[in-house]
Amino acid sequence: MFETIEITLIYTFLLGSLYLLVSLGFSLICGVLRIFHLGYAYIFVATIYLTWMFFHTLNLPLWPSILLMVVLQAAIAIGLYYGIIAKYLKQEEKIITGLLLVAIIANAAANKWYPIQSAVNLPTTIIDGTLNVGSTTVPIQMVLAAITGIVVTALFVLFFLKTKTGLAARAISYDINSAKMMGIQVEQLYMFIMVIVVIPVIIAMLMIAPVLAVNPDMGWGYMTTAILVSVMGGLGNIRGTIIASYIIGFAHSFVSFPLGEPRLMNLAALIVVIIMLIVRPQGIAKTESLW
Amino acid sequence: MELEIKREKLVLRVGTQKYEWHIEPRYWRNPFIYVGILILVPIAVYFLYPQWLPTVIDANLLAAIAIPLGWMTIGTGRMNFGPQFYIGVGGFTAALCSINLGWPPFVTLLMAILAGLIFGLLMSPLSIIAGGLYYTLLTLLFPLVFLEITFIYTDLFKGDTGLFGIAQMVNVGHFTVNQFLICLMSLFMMLLYMFIVDKIMRSKFAASMAAINDDEEVAEAMGVNVKKIKIISFTIPAVMIAVIGWFYAHYYGTFSGVTYLPLAFMVKVLLVSMIGGRVQIYGNVIGGYFIVILELFLSSVLGEYSQVVFPIILLILLLTLPEGLFGLYRKRRYREYLPTLHVRR
Amino acid sequence: MTEILKIDSVSKHFGGLMAINDVSFSIIEGETLGLMGPNGAGKTTLVNMITGKYLADSGNIQFMGHDITRMPAYRRCKLGISRTYQIPRPFPELTALMSVVVSALYGKDRANQSLEDAATEATHYLEFCGLFSKRNVLGKDLTLYELRGLELARALATTPKLIFVDEVMAGLNPDEAYKAVRLLERAKEEFGVTILWIEHVMAALMQAAQRVVVLHYGQKICEGLPQDVANDPYVIECYLGSCHV
Repeated sequence: MFETIEITLIYTFLLGSLYLLVSLGFSLICGVLRIFHLGYAYIFVATIYLTWMFFHTLNLPLWPSILLMVVLQAAIAIGLYYGIIAKYLKQEEKIITGLLLVAIIANAAANKWYPIQSAVNLPTTIIDGTLNVGSTTVPIQMVLAAITGIVVTALFVLFFLKTKTGLAARAISYDINSAKMMGIQVEQLYMFIMVIVVIPVIIAMLMIAPVLAVNPDMGWGYMTTAILVSVMGGLGNIRGTIIASYIIGFAHSFVSFPLGEPRLMNLAALIVVIIMLIVRPQGIAKTESLW
Repeated sequence: MELEIKREKLVLRVGTQKYEWHIEPRYWRNPFIYVGILILVPIAVYFLYPQWLPTVIDANLLAAIAIPLGWMTIGTGRMNFGPQFYIGVGGFTAALCSINLGWPPFVTLLMAILAGLIFGLLMSPLSIIAGGLYYTLLTLLFPLVFLEITFIYTDLFKGDTGLFGIAQMVNVGHFTVNQFLICLMSLFMMLLYMFIVDKIMRSKFAASMAAINDDEEVAEAMGVNVKKIKIISFTIPAVMIAVIGWFYAHYYGTFSGVTYLPLAFMVKVLLVSMIGGRVQIYGNVIGGYFIVILELFLSSVLGEYSQVVFPIILLILLLTLPEGLFGLYRKRRYREYLPTLHVRR
Repeated sequence: MTEILKIDSVSKHFGGLMAINDVSFSIIEGETLGLMGPNGAGKTTLVNMITGKYLADSGNIQFMGHDITRMPAYRRCKLGISRTYQIPRPFPELTALMSVVVSALYGKDRANQSLEDAATEATHYLEFCGLFSKRNVLGKDLTLYELRGLELARALATTPKLIFVDEVMAGLNPDEAYKAVRLLERAKEEFGVTILWIEHVMAALMQAAQRVVVLHYGQKICEGLPQDVANDPYVIECYLGSCHV
């Protein structure tokens, strides 16, 4: 029984940190841009498959592929912002459906050109092998991913607390109209946020691609987790998102190890979130803002 | 008995009773004309291009899903992003009752209605408790979780392969005549739903729904029983959508979660609404036919690439048409009852 | 001289803040009761509690013999309580006519009333408030004065016995303010409603009200005839200032 507790806790930490990376961007967009980025799933698919395209099909070395992919993703994010979001900021259904369509297009494109059979496999392992923690073995890559997750989140928090741009973002999340009146350039900040939220996902995906499976439909699963974490943590609140990621990580580990039914993972997370919403509808967050 | 056709009215006198119906004199707004056209379509298709009957059936059914969804959206004041959940409920109920218990289609219809009613009632409190965006999110996630359940309990739901062997709705022996009869049935369902929702949207019920959409708190202070209206506006459209699930199960003879529960199907339904001009009821019909014809055209011309091109075209259409196709025709009337979603707490 | 509303020791707190602290008073049928107090005294909170937006934490509210302390807001409206809002809250996407139609349909229990019958009735109330020519204008396009009129028309369409009028003169120029007060008087005469009037403009309130209640930090500090309240030293110190009206 002691091992079960141990493995549950370890995976709570690992999964929670991973989900933190995955959900941070979604929560930020909800908090600052106040829209629902239902197309978030495309980022996961685009990271893996664009890198694979540069690396395998165009035969470029690994690091230039990654760099190109980042540049392309930034361009796509900017394009999405100007094309869809900026035009329809008041008509949320259009934004949501439009972004969802983008995710579907990405999914369909990945399915068409790199279906599951093409054995996409990114050699982004930093340290190979496994680690023995107590009586459980975990891939070192996952531990590294978890640590990176915490570091990246800490960097983001520092950014929002200490820099001027971060301050502006926080102001927007409190009250957009007053922020505009204070001379904050909202459009540029929106665009900036759209671009930087891509980064945690890229890091997460590149680090765990060797460990967890890769397939064209992977975006939806991660987006579901991001949605659940953000809803529970209070949309747009980083503190709440951090707490919620670990709670959901715990829910997933609990269902996988002590209960031994990993198929129930998403259902368990959903039930936890629903209970949370009934008990405290505004989520874990105490304030309505970013921090 | 006397029937008199005046300029705008049809007057029927039977004994001492008098019945009056108002006829819309502007022929382009007369619903009977459009209903006539819609009835002629399957007849024409049956005789000219019988291989397109399934397309017409699909179009009718998509429109029939979008119509109660419009009512649900207006009545609850939030957008439901998971209507396919009820298709799953209705379809699986019908399929399981038909396969495991051997019940005929019209008995499974009652079961599907019952299942829709139960799940609709269970979930309707969400429309009251959950704020706009949370509600949208949760409704988005429910079908995905349902899909996972079908995989988990795969011996019951046959998540991997889908259920098959469901009794056919009508069987007169000849395949094309079957299709034709099913097409007429689908048309009937769509027209029935259109009639119901249209009458509701023209009644005093609609005034209260419009008030709720604008400002719930003030509506309640003015005497509107907000909770009752939300629950009714959630449950009855849920039942209507579940019946369409029943229809899909008995029409195709197979039912599988992966066809109807993931987001791809939801986007289709949503686009039928949007391209048809959001919650304009008649626009949903046009949206339904348009999307189905577009998909058919693309897959016959582009083959495999249609999976990628179809959503691209839909995206372009979404962004370029301000009010959907129907908006091109409709003059800008000032009564928009549509809820807006904001990331509020 | 029957009491139609009796509030008995009601209290309401929000977190640590005691918004209403043990307030009791009653309203007599047919009178105009003025409710005064500095900003933040809890006047609007008190009205919100009586109309049903908030539930009282303790105490008792009786309206026309019914105990409405725990009743949901729409039932209170059907019993005969109605209100206007300090910052007008029209239905932005509905026309003025449709807004009043909603109140006319749902504000009271009446059988055999269809949408068109309610529309006919609504035109009567719009005409009364002088908004008939603006009946097809959307709520978001009306001016402040028209919005105040629409608030009143909407409240009257529910055929109330008691209306809470919240600062009807704020933001209006003297001419419009005078017309607004006259409108309230005519409403009282024609529809026989009792009015509880929250106001800061002392001249109007002292003239129109038969009795006045003063709130300060959620507590009732004075109640009585206007001139008595105006001369009360504690009221002068808290609210009116030494140079009173």
